[in-house]
Amino acid sequence: MHVPDGILPAPLSLAGYGLTGLTAWFCLRVINRSSDPTQGIPKAALLTAAFFSASLIHIPIPPASVHFVLNGLLGVVLGYYAFLAIMVGLFLQAVMFGHGGLTTLGINALIMGIPALIAYFAFHLRDRRPKTSNHRLITGLLAFLAGAIGIGLAMVLFYGLILFNLPSDLNAEAERAALATLALAHLPLIGIEGVFTAIVVLFLERVKPELLRNPWFKAVP
Amino acid sequence: MTLGLESYVKRDSWLHGWEPKCKLIGLMSLIFAFAFVQDLWLLVPMILVTIALYKLSKLPLSFLLQRLRYPSFFLLGIVVLLPFFSGKTIIWQWGWLAIYREGCEAVLLIAGRFCAVVTITLILTGTTPFLTLLQTLRSLGLSPILTDMTLLTYRYLHDIAVNFATMRTAMRLRGGDRRDQPWFHWQLLPQFAILTGTLLIRSYEQSERVYQAMRLRGYGLPKQGASPEPAHGRGSLIALGVSLVVAASFVLAGHGG
Amino acid sequence: MRQMDRVRQQAWGHEVEPNPPAIAIANLHFSYPDCTDAIQNINLTVQPGERLGIVGANGCGKTTFFLLLCGVLTPTLGEVRILGNPVQPGSFQTQVGLVFQNPDDQLFSTSVWEDVAFAPQHMGLAAEDVEQRVVTALALTNIQNLALRPPHHLSGGQKKRVAIAGVLAMNPEILLLDEPTAQLDPHSRRQLIRLLDALPQTQLIATHDLDLALDLCDRILLFSEGRIICDGETYTVLGNAELLEQYSLESPLSYSRPYCQLDHAPQKP
Repeated sequence: MHVPDGILPAPLSLAGYGLTGLTAWFCLRVINRSSDPTQGIPKAALLTAAFFSASLIHIPIPPASVHFVLNGLLGVVLGYYAFLAIMVGLFLQAVMFGHGGLTTLGINALIMGIPALIAYFAFHLRDRRPKTSNHRLITGLLAFLAGAIGIGLAMVLFYGLILFNLPSDLNAEAERAALATLALAHLPLIGIEGVFTAIVVLFLERVKPELLRNPWFKAVP
Repeated sequence: MTLGLESYVKRDSWLHGWEPKCKLIGLMSLIFAFAFVQDLWLLVPMILVTIALYKLSKLPLSFLLQRLRYPSFFLLGIVVLLPFFSGKTIIWQWGWLAIYREGCEAVLLIAGRFCAVVTITLILTGTTPFLTLLQTLRSLGLSPILTDMTLLTYRYLHDIAVNFATMRTAMRLRGGDRRDQPWFHWQLLPQFAILTGTLLIRSYEQSERVYQAMRLRGYGLPKQGASPEPAHGRGSLIALGVSLVVAASFVLAGHGG
Repeated sequence: MRQMDRVRQQAWGHEVEPNPPAIAIANLHFSYPDCTDAIQNINLTVQPGERLGIVGANGCGKTTFFLLLCGVLTPTLGEVRILGNPVQPGSFQTQVGLVFQNPDDQLFSTSVWEDVAFAPQHMGLAAEDVEQRVVTALALTNIQNLALRPPHHLSGGQKKRVAIAGVLAMNPEILLLDEPTAQLDPHSRRQLIRLLDALPQTQLIATHDLDLALDLCDRILLFSEGRIICDGETYTVLGNAELLEQYSLESPLSYSRPYCQLDHAPQKP
């Protein structure tokens, strides 16, 4: 779900960089307020590398196969670092594989990163409730929601940007219809990634719960 | 996973010797200027400038073709329908199927911009060591948190990918991740999920040790006595000036046209 | 007072005892947050230039002990002094270098040169001094030809030597080596032993490789459940088969299976 170079008008690419810069600044501000900002860097970096590898898993759905996006899970695990991790991942993909592009790095970071941050906030709604006997169920449901939001919102942003910026004689209604069709067609993928995220999070909760505990959650700006 | 980023960074071309900061600013200006091109007639000078720079870089053509292949397919998937749906002037028709001139022009523009931008990107990354590129970005104001994250991610990408592949092999050897199962067996998803979870945990635990090792060698403390930036050569500055002028010309021509 | 002591006193601003031991530990305790006692009542003195082997079953506390010596972990009780000065947890100590068991954990730069230069750069040295340190460290570990290679392209033995070079570039007076021969093939292992034998630093070597301890160490500490069970001369401790077996260890191969006693051993010419 990367917009390649050449498709979007330049002013939009520049605006993307501007908004990405602002969002990154905001995340860095929160991170720099923690007692040791450098402590999170190796964690975020190695987990970014892990997500990079894991996103290469493909699920065979004939006639093609689909790669996981995992930005929702990234948001759950990395919190405010998630947006920075996505910027890093996109940069490396553009530079190493030519996937995405340098002019569209800002836009792509917003497409993947904003949903990741929303997924993070959605998942950590569980921290606002006292732990009860159905804590595991709540965790699973919120993880599903986070995973679904991550990919669902990213898809809407991606297709919306493409459809509304490609030169065409489709009218606004037709473009909306096309967007709705695409979104519906991707519903199964959204469901699969939601389930996948839930299973991973429940596994982490059982084996390494500290991975899901976010020290920056309390650093409200 | 082969990174292949630095296969040609040791070559001896003028672009390889261009001072990194000037090169980054100059080439990025060109990249964004090309993104501004909206008129077909600007495609020709854009392509000519791109070809000239690529020849100057002495990078092999096979390198470019290899790097263009995958993203080209992706782009094609997005723009392939444009000639059939975009425009008013029909240039060919067969029954209900029509090809429009404006749609074709749009595809040409997009493809031209794409090729030019990707080629200039490749020139930048193919002639500059990755570490130098990151140091240049840091000197231009990029947050040290971002550059450190990028460096560490790049460093451990290969190891973690190899780890992951080994885990998948181990799972297959014990009956998991089977290719002979139906296209969406109910066990596939939980197996991938557990693999991913395990990979995350291992990476997290390794990151704690990496952080300890970094702290033990001074990381996190302000670096004293940082080396002064080397002076920019006159040639590099002139080349930067030329790039900026060319970039500005494309932007103005695009707006004026 | 020796010249080094005067220099240390000037550097640290307070009086240092003349000829301080390399390491002095008094009443050291450490517990993890889940209240597991990892280190219990360690008292130890190590003189400069000594080579200590630290042996014990998995989980006996060797790695935790090293992390306490470096200041990565904060003791629950007791004190650690390095060259007469108390260890400040969290501070950057260049006198002590730790070589991790898995070299991948400490090779975090994109090239060998960059990795070895990491510590000197963070010590605030001028560029020429950094270069000198790197060149010297690469030469000591005989890896000059690997300078521009990325770490993930190296073999296990090469990575280990790069990790040691990275630590030597700090010019430490004390080296802590955590399982240095783990995952090394016999040739790399022998090369590593020769390298460590040639280094003048005080060395503490945590190892399961008891034959390495025989080759290199003057003194052995036997650890169990975070305590020092036995502290003595190498041959005395490693020659006590009963003691070793009691703490889930075995005699070094050199002692337990004398080569000449094997029926199928080829005859020496």
